[in-house]
Amino acid sequence: MRKAATAALVLTGSILLFSALPAFAQEAAKEPAYRSFPWIGSRLAVWAVAQLHLNFAAFILGVPIFAVIIEIIGWRTRDERYDWLSHEFVKLTFAAFSTTALLGALLLFLFIGYYPKFWTYMTSIFFPTYWIYALLFFAETFTVYLWYYGWDWLQGNRKWIHVSLGILSNLFGTAILFVANSWVTFMISPAGITESGALKGSVWAAINNYAWMPINIHRLIANIVFGGTIAGAYAAFRFLGAKTDEERARYDWMGYIGNFVALSAFIVLPFAGYYLGREIYAFNQTMGITMMGGFMSWLWIIQAILIGVLFIGSNYYLWLGMERIPGSERYRKYVPPMLIILAIGFMVWATPRSMVVTLDEARAMGGTHHPILGFLGVMSAKNTAVNLMILTTFLSFVLYRRANRVSEKPWVKTGMAVQWATFALAALIVTFYGVYGYFVESLVRIGFSVYQVGAVLAALVIVMAIDIPMFKGARSTGAIRWGTIAPRSQYVLIILAVTFTWLMGLMGFARSGIRQHWHVYGVLRDTSPEAVTPALGYAANVISIVTLVFFALVMFIFWLGGLGEKGKAGAHGHAAPVIAGGSDDKGRASEGAEHP
Amino acid sequence: MRLPVGVKVGIVAIVVMGAYSGYANYIPQIESKPPQELSLEGGNVTPAQLIKAGEEIYKTKGTCEICHRIGQKGTRAPDLAGVGSRAAKTKPGMSAKAYIIESLISPNAYLVEGYPPIMPAVDKPPIGLNRSELWALTAFLESLGGTVDVALNDIPATAGAAAAGGAPAEVKIPGDATAGKAVFTGKGGCLACHKAKDVPGTPVGPDLSQIAKIQTTDYIMKKILDPKGMGTVAGFPPGVMPQTFGQALTAKEYTDLVAFLLTLK
Repeated sequence: MRKAATAALVLTGSILLFSALPAFAQEAAKEPAYRSFPWIGSRLAVWAVAQLHLNFAAFILGVPIFAVIIEIIGWRTRDERYDWLSHEFVKLTFAAFSTTALLGALLLFLFIGYYPKFWTYMTSIFFPTYWIYALLFFAETFTVYLWYYGWDWLQGNRKWIHVSLGILSNLFGTAILFVANSWVTFMISPAGITESGALKGSVWAAINNYAWMPINIHRLIANIVFGGTIAGAYAAFRFLGAKTDEERARYDWMGYIGNFVALSAFIVLPFAGYYLGREIYAFNQTMGITMMGGFMSWLWIIQAILIGVLFIGSNYYLWLGMERIPGSERYRKYVPPMLIILAIGFMVWATPRSMVVTLDEARAMGGTHHPILGFLGVMSAKNTAVNLMILTTFLSFVLYRRANRVSEKPWVKTGMAVQWATFALAALIVTFYGVYGYFVESLVRIGFSVYQVGAVLAALVIVMAIDIPMFKGARSTGAIRWGTIAPRSQYVLIILAVTFTWLMGLMGFARSGIRQHWHVYGVLRDTSPEAVTPALGYAANVISIVTLVFFALVMFIFWLGGLGEKGKAGAHGHAAPVIAGGSDDKGRASEGAEHP
Repeated sequence: MRLPVGVKVGIVAIVVMGAYSGYANYIPQIESKPPQELSLEGGNVTPAQLIKAGEEIYKTKGTCEICHRIGQKGTRAPDLAGVGSRAAKTKPGMSAKAYIIESLISPNAYLVEGYPPIMPAVDKPPIGLNRSELWALTAFLESLGGTVDVALNDIPATAGAAAAGGAPAEVKIPGDATAGKAVFTGKGGCLACHKAKDVPGTPVGPDLSQIAKIQTTDYIMKKILDPKGMGTVAGFPPGVMPQTFGQALTAKEYTDLVAFLLTLK
């Protein structure tokens, strides 16, 4: 209840603050345009708090999405382990709820105090949305509290009410995300205003700007990935510190689910990224070109490295996981070729188009573009690489999914043949348009990426549409030996969480940096002494420090959350389940804790 | 010695982030600085100086090099080599300078075949070149194979009017900061209420030791002339600062004082 009181206090404070905003705005008109934050400067203060707030917000918005899905699975299959897992996930977000609200309030104070002119302008456009945001926050908070505290109360016949609360809290959470995104995206691609920056008509035109919907979709998916990786890292941490086989098995399973969730959403994330990039180009070509080819071009090389780590790490985790599945030996031969494709894809994606070299090096190379590798630096090659990496990762997942299952359907041969043909055809289409892209104009080439993405998405849908009925009721070659996975796999989960958090920080810098010396692009100029957009080295240092602080806070919050449950067996009535492989009672869960 | 799990996990996280940061610091470091304003109105400038200024704008504030190349065919925009002579023949009845100016402020009025209509009007935000900058840029483009004959009056008076999007990044104040400090401590009597770094003052009004860091030039200039109209900083009594500096100080003393205040960062 203390948590509830804290959150209620923060919310009440925020509401009072919101209600006082018009007065603040009037004062701000007479106030200085900027104030200087002691020691580190205003920009760094806002940057750090904004990134921390976004990290926490992404976590508390992302995790409930898959938590409710897992709860529904448990409810429909009457498998209590899923109910326990869902409760565990919500428990994690619950602990981070107040911190998110506190950081949000701190960010607001920083804007009002240190960027009063900017805040006055934003208020002049978005004031009606502040109320919607506050009301949604109230609704979200109380629904989540009811969802969490009502877990035991709303069991049995009332389970549908509980599941509905979970769904409702996700709807409120998503709506909050969309409102906040309208402010951020307006700063990138302002709309619905006159040349002098005044609102022309309805605030809806300002909300519905070019970048709004792409960022809504991109963040929604990214939040799920982020939630999955953090939940996976939490499970890995618990696995590594586990004292019993049973505990190890439980957190091995939880880690697997976290990674599965992250990977499933991660596969479609690049497509959302394409959509966002396309809309930025549609809004303003100069901004798009600055983003991809201007001073930020090296940022995408770093992004490629991070995504390469995420792809290879996720696959490696799956391959290590297959070692604890009897029957998976049949698929071991596929690992080397998959690793080769991923490694080559990684290298292609991380190849820069042009390089800063010394005169002697340039002479030796025949220019700033390498005669051979330079060809791999263009979008055609990179699009091909990433699409093939997505297909490979998907193949890894498909093989993992069927590792201990043998289909006994009469049409299994035909099904398998169609699946392999689908993979081959998708890879062929991706490669064909990748090569063809070198021979056409850039405008035509950009269009090719749609065909490549379409082919991969179609392959994902077709293969799964066959796979699910083909392996329904399949013969088992043995139960998964949960808890026997190599400990190094747990470090992979931690690396994935750290990398994805760092990637979020980098993308935040990209999103903000493309505005360059504008608070609101082309409308409100940044006239502060800190209007310089810093170089990548400085940005990376800031991102690393903030990420470190985030993980320190997360560990502290999780530790605090765990304190309340110490010594209470089956806290909240949710006794930890026994997962196959972790106890002596092997037969009890021979088919339990299957792949999702 | 067995390390605790938390320590091991922490080491892994720090090593991973250190590797990412290390790489990001290893690659070329490029900052994006706000562009400076160029004003040539009323000044005597030779064609050579004009072309040089135009070339600078071409490479920096104009962001032309993102799409255009000189002597190399681009995929997004035409090669500008020889544009000075070619421009005179592109649209019948239109001179080279008129065509170049039109291309800069109304880029979609005529499209070179094979290129998409992606060029923004360079006198509008976010690029926002002013008239002087358009003049210099036109001269530079004319110099690429043609004769430089553009005058400031050839640039439409309305061009660049919406360029600012807020105050310009930097305004050069022609005052003398040392003389301004004397005004601050002497005739202006500012130290009676304000502290300014090494100049001690009573805390009746805000400490101005970092005023140039937190305020715009525009605000500082207006605040001296019309303190009441610019509002009172929170936490200080209103109506204390005299309204008479505009009459009491000469123009030189005023600009000197502003120049001194702008050194307080």
